[in-house]
Amino acid sequence: MSPRVRVLLFALAVLCLAPAFAHVALHLPRFGAHPLPYGDAINAAGTRERHVTNMVSAVNFDYRGFDTLGEEFMLLGAVTGTATLLRGTRGERKEVPQQVPGRPVRARSDAVVLVARLMGTTTVLFGVYVALHAMTTPGGGFQGGVIVSSGLLLVFLAEGYRGWRRAMRSEILDACEGSGATLYALCGFASMLAGLPFLQNILPLGKVKDLFAGGLMLVENAGVAFAVAGGFAVLFLEFLEETRVEADGDDEEEKEA
Amino acid sequence: MTVLPVGVMPPLPVAGPLAVAGLLLATGTRLPRRMPDVVAILVALAACVLCALMAMGSAHAPLVYWFGGWEPRHGLAIGIGFVVSPAGAWLGAFIALLFAATLLFAWGYFDAVHAHFHVLMLLFMAGMIGFCLTHDLFNLFVWFELMSVSAFALTGYALRTDALEGALNFTVVNTIGSYLILGGIGLIYLEVGALDFSALGRGVAAHPGDPAVAAAFALLASGLLTKGAQVPFHFWLSDAHAVAPSPVSVIFSGAMVSIGLYGVAVLDWTVFAGSAVVQHLVHTLLLGMGAASAAVGGVMALMQRHVKRLLAFSTISHAGILLVGLALSDGNGLSGMLVYLLGHGLVKGALFMVAGIMLASLGGIDELGLRGQGRRIWPAGLVMGFGGLLLAGMPVGLMDTGLERIELAMRDQHQIVVRVAVLTGMVCTGAAVLRVAGRVFVGWGPVSGEEECSPTDEEREKADRPLWLMMLPTVVLVALSLCGSHDADRIAWRAAALLMHPDGEAILGLATARPAVVAPWAAVPGSWLPWVATGLAVALSGLELFWHRLPRSLARGYDRASGPALGALGALHSGLVGDYVAWIAVGLALFVLA
Amino acid sequence: MPVGQALDHATSLLPWCVSAWLLGVGLYAILTSRHFVHLIGCLSVVQSSTYVLLLAAGYRKGAQAPIFYSHPPGIAVDPVLQALVLTDVVIGATVTALLLALVLQLHKRRGTLDPERLRPMRR
Repeated sequence: MSPRVRVLLFALAVLCLAPAFAHVALHLPRFGAHPLPYGDAINAAGTRERHVTNMVSAVNFDYRGFDTLGEEFMLLGAVTGTATLLRGTRGERKEVPQQVPGRPVRARSDAVVLVARLMGTTTVLFGVYVALHAMTTPGGGFQGGVIVSSGLLLVFLAEGYRGWRRAMRSEILDACEGSGATLYALCGFASMLAGLPFLQNILPLGKVKDLFAGGLMLVENAGVAFAVAGGFAVLFLEFLEETRVEADGDDEEEKEA
Repeated sequence: MTVLPVGVMPPLPVAGPLAVAGLLLATGTRLPRRMPDVVAILVALAACVLCALMAMGSAHAPLVYWFGGWEPRHGLAIGIGFVVSPAGAWLGAFIALLFAATLLFAWGYFDAVHAHFHVLMLLFMAGMIGFCLTHDLFNLFVWFELMSVSAFALTGYALRTDALEGALNFTVVNTIGSYLILGGIGLIYLEVGALDFSALGRGVAAHPGDPAVAAAFALLASGLLTKGAQVPFHFWLSDAHAVAPSPVSVIFSGAMVSIGLYGVAVLDWTVFAGSAVVQHLVHTLLLGMGAASAAVGGVMALMQRHVKRLLAFSTISHAGILLVGLALSDGNGLSGMLVYLLGHGLVKGALFMVAGIMLASLGGIDELGLRGQGRRIWPAGLVMGFGGLLLAGMPVGLMDTGLERIELAMRDQHQIVVRVAVLTGMVCTGAAVLRVAGRVFVGWGPVSGEEECSPTDEEREKADRPLWLMMLPTVVLVALSLCGSHDADRIAWRAAALLMHPDGEAILGLATARPAVVAPWAAVPGSWLPWVATGLAVALSGLELFWHRLPRSLARGYDRASGPALGALGALHSGLVGDYVAWIAVGLALFVLA
Repeated sequence: MPVGQALDHATSLLPWCVSAWLLGVGLYAILTSRHFVHLIGCLSVVQSSTYVLLLAAGYRKGAQAPIFYSHPPGIAVDPVLQALVLTDVVIGATVTALLLALVLQLHKRRGTLDPERLRPMRR
């Protein structure tokens, strides 16, 4: 199919879909004024039942905690898959690879090093802070984990590739990711061992507005934070590793030099 | 198994494999070499046993399990529920069994460090079982996405150029499908304000004729039909199944595609049963799509020389037959679909294993290039020939039992065109597989001079595995597809009845459970269709192999009659992701037009 | 109909229009894309349409955020849909990472990322 025919086909399809969309949109309930029975039920009961103030976390880790279990392992699967696909040809390297021959080494400016060191530390701290405040204020294991791992990425800017590789060991990151996700699943099995349904709370709930309120949700949140931080760090590691593979251009540069 | 009451089982076949996958990843490097193989097979077998026990335990009333103990309040489901019915649980058992067989088949295939393959396979399995058991729309989507993500990664595992291209097309098209599902979830939540199937079903029944509900169904069904590879959402399948590692293709064709269609069946009966518009869409549009897929897949299969691609197109064709069974919307059609799903999964799994054996032992997968070379692995050839006959509809085993039910429903509803399409699919796919068996394992057919121009790069899968180890799971699958068809029919009849009349009020705690309404089971009178299909398939494969012995004029006529139309059909399967996306839009437009 | 009411009615259609528009342009861009990295970006546009739809479906006029730290529990927007969007974000990130890995490997082998010049086998 030539691109023009393809666009024509698409245009025809859109032509059919447009009136249907208009029809549906006009029959949809008014934006911002329709009943939300499910959300209202959770907003009404969440704080009383779970002693937490962040209802999104209550949904994520408790009312619909089973979804998050699947989501956690989806992340694990994608990271494992990405690592497999990227490592495929070069294999997993234990030692820090050498400089790619023929590629110029440029010194980093002191300003970048200073800023990256400062920012890296504060970013990791901020990530931990966000992860810890999952139950009270906006925040949670996902967001915190991502922030922590991007703080780790700043190590690359601050210390250069070799420093980054020395700090990041893939087996440790794998273990962090795998055990974080497993911890989430084990929370569910712990409830079952206590004779309760999967993922039902078995820990004391704590005081409302306390940092450590929420019972089992805290453990789940920690598992998520570890899994996400480890998972994204593995992704960064593998993609950065790709820059150390000799590309076609490298040889030519060498010849020219 | 009295240690574990059946009531606490539902989370185990999903969460168990997940936990083991996480542990395998965390400890991957420190495990002994064959440990991941053993662990994965044992986990799959355990999941199979658990699902089978649940299936037997739910024969009279569904097992309802609320995660976190969040039982519905005044009919409002506030948590996620699994409602285990016989259909879903038997399907879960079948999936786990297929995984166990595949992992045995793949023994020693992937011995790279870290057990990444096993981690992905366990996640894949957990996602599929969760998909079959769940009773919550968003949870369904989560498991759907988990199985998609692991499938994407597994497709590109071989890292050959064609594998990467196939995986890219697969990922892009299926991800668009996922987003369509998510759009459907958003729409129906907007309208009904719930995610639990029973609650949604009540809400839909309260808004009959609402266009937003119909639009939500169109989006959800498009996403699931993308996974279920129905015309015109099917294009990705042949690219992906042909290039994935053979053990992965076994799962793709044997279970993943049909699972998508099972999802449509569940939504149709538990959520959208109360919407006349949707029922009309199912009965017209989906029936047409199924018939078109059956015919197109069959014809395309006949045109292939890459054996895995040929089998991939035959999967499209048989998935079309499954959709026909579903769209006929009666007890016979649905129960036939369930049995046919199992039978087809077992047979197609075995055939992909044979393709894997060819790749490992013969070092190729090109039908013409391997002419006559398969004689030394003749047991594989026997399986392939027999599998071809089963695909064509030979009247033994599960596939036949399922087909007889679907045929009964088609006959009752006077669907002449659909019957012809189904017959075409069976005949063409059967003939294509028989032709491969005849050419590769016997050496029939002319030397065409095109042997050297193989359609793909050099392909070979890990060769040092013993033949018996690969044959064992293959033969087990074929044997399973032959036995117990009478019992399977009875069980499926009951399972279909329970699926069609879900007791939503009882699940939501609004009423006490009412006894299941199951129409008395009656054996299907045998029909002529299987005999005709098998005969035609054998004749057609003979024609394909020996057409050069026909009188010159006849042969040229055959060529000329079939050439242009087939060429155009082939050109549509261009491998361009842009084309595929345009077809998705067309598919959505079809929902409007129907 | 007074102008204010008509305007109100029109704005209440806006979220659905934005969502459909994002879906449409995303699909159009994918089918005309000549570079796979660009195509992955377009896929994120398609995904954004689901964000808009889900968040709009959970919105309630004049309601507060579903976080009851500084104000007492009361009328708030729907936390369930916000949790679903969080999952959606994770899905987007994971699929993008996978796709980029595939694209990177493909570029190494074929030297091009134009879908028109890359096509899987035909037969």
